[in-house]
Order: sequence, then C-alpha cells, then structure tokens
Amino acid sequence: MEPMTGRAIFEGFGGAGFRNLFGLGFGAEIIYSFIIIVCSLMIYFGTKELYELSSYKGIKYFRQAFLFFAIAYFFRSFIKFILAYFNIRGILAFSPWVFGSFTLFLFMYFSSIAIFYLLYSVMWKKWNGNSDKIYLFHGLALFLAAISVLLRNPLVYFGLNILLFLFVVFVVYAIYKHSKKGIKGHNLYAIYLLLFIFWILNIVDILIPAFFQTFQLFIYLASSGIFLLILYRVLKKTGSN
Amino acid sequence: MVKRGKLEIMRDILRIIQENHNSIKATPLLRITNISSNRFKKYLSELLEKNLIKEVVDKKGGKFISLTDKGFKFLERYGVIVNFIEEFEL
Repeated sequence: MEPMTGRAIFEGFGGAGFRNLFGLGFGAEIIYSFIIIVCSLMIYFGTKELYELSSYKGIKYFRQAFLFFAIAYFFRSFIKFILAYFNIRGILAFSPWVFGSFTLFLFMYFSSIAIFYLLYSVMWKKWNGNSDKIYLFHGLALFLAAISVLLRNPLVYFGLNILLFLFVVFVVYAIYKHSKKGIKGHNLYAIYLLLFIFWILNIVDILIPAFFQTFQLFIYLASSGIFLLILYRVLKKTGSN
Repeated sequence: MVKRGKLEIMRDILRIIQENHNSIKATPLLRITNISSNRFKKYLSELLEKNLIKEVVDKKGGKFISLTDKGFKFLERYGVIVNFIEEFEL
C-alpha cells in the first residue's frame, strides 16, 4: 500500500498546496486557524485575573489547555501564512519535507496535550490532585506526535484515532456519570464531547486529507462554532468585555 | 457540617480581616476562623506568599494582619471565581 502522509507534509510548501497557497482551501484554513487562535487566546487571557487571584489548579489547567490549542493551530497553518507573507521561503526551499514534518509534529503534540489538559482540568480533583499524570500526558502526546510523523500509514492513523476517540469517550462518560450537576452541567459535557470529536476529525483531516475533502468546510465551521461557544461561556462567567 | 473548601476558607479569613477594620492580630483571627492551628499557619503563609495579606507592625511592636489590594480584589471577585469553577466543573 502506498503510504499516505499528512497535509502538512504533502500539501505543505513542497506540494500542490504551495502553488495554490492563496486559493480557497488555504484561505479557509487560515481563517479557521485564526478564529481558533483568537478564541483560545481570549479564553487564556480572559481567565488570567481569576487564576492570579485564586491560584486554583483547575483554572490553571483549563487556561493552559487553550494556550496549547492556540500554539497547535499556529503550527497547523498560520506559520505557513506568516512565512509566505514575509517571503521567508529559504527555509521552505531548503527542505519542504523537514518543514512539513516539523510543523505536523508540533501540531500533533500541542493539540494532544491541549485535549489532555482540558480533561485534566475536570478530573484533577477526582485523581486526588496527583500532578504526576501531567508527565504521562506529555509522554503520550510526544508518542502520538512521533508516530504521526514517523509511521506514515493510514491504517496506523485510523487505529490511533479510534483509540483516542475511545479514550476520550470513556473519560467524558466517567465525568458525566459522576457529575453532581443537573442538566446545566451535562450541557458542558456535550460541548466538551463535541470539541473532542472535532479534534479527532481535524487530525484525520490533516493526516488523511482525501478522507474528508467534501466535509472540510463543515469541520472548520463546526469546530469554530464550538470554540466560539466556549469563549462565550467564559466571557459570560468572567464578566470580561 | 459541610467541610469548607480551600477557596472558601481563604475567603473567610480575608473577610474576617476586612470586617475588623482591615487590622487584626493572628490569635483572634485563628479563634474566629475556627480551623486547627496547623492549618491556620499554612493558610496564613500561603496568603502572605500570594500577596493577599500583609503583616503590619505598629509603633509598640505589635504584629497585625491586613489585606493587600490583591486581597480586596479577591473578595470582590470571589463570587465570579466560584461561579466559573462551577460552570466548567474545574
């Protein structure tokens, strides 16, 4: 079977994507990344005061999750835009494959760790505040990122994503089951579950570009909507302008 | 009796200081907060470390505890902090 690689590798600056850099596909990706980065940074800075006053661990992990989302989406596509806009093509001409692999690795690492931190922000008290799990999550995220870059095989990618999905569903279900809150609290879990599902769809979209070609715009719109919804709830609760 | 959480105890300590004209000695503060002496010491050093309270020495050498600006801000925003934690189940 011919190996399939990530969008970042094949459709990065080395492939067809470079010729259509400012085409509709790339433009949509840039706008999408921009929305996610802005939402994530607004959540991060919007909760700064609450964390500085309380030093509460749950708020710390929640904020860091969104900082990692911002970094992940920066490496996903925004960095390509900056390099192209400022005409720094020497790096790309040097080795598009290395550049693509590097950004794919960073995207996979930071987006995985963002999801793990978000889960941890909800679970840390139930796990008795044991912060050792953080190191486990970093290790797991590094492993996922390394696998994505080194083993360019669609079956491995599918297997990984199914495992991640099962892991996320299991954890969210465990939280949901032990939640003391009523319907209001369950609303949050629905949002988190959608966020996790679209994170996995985003990864599939990056690693196996042909898989979701028709639904790409839908994935972008739905993912942006989820981030905007979380931002709205954060701003509403923090009373930020 | 429901056990108070860490943030709630911090709020209670700060509120007692505020209600005592922002100046109280450690001994009466310990008595009013109704927690063990060891826990009180830990909370006090944590509040000092986080710059939520400060120690003031008067002319006679008596040590008093006062709120800092950050301490007042904490009390002001306590409701928002708790609401946020509850909203996102943190």
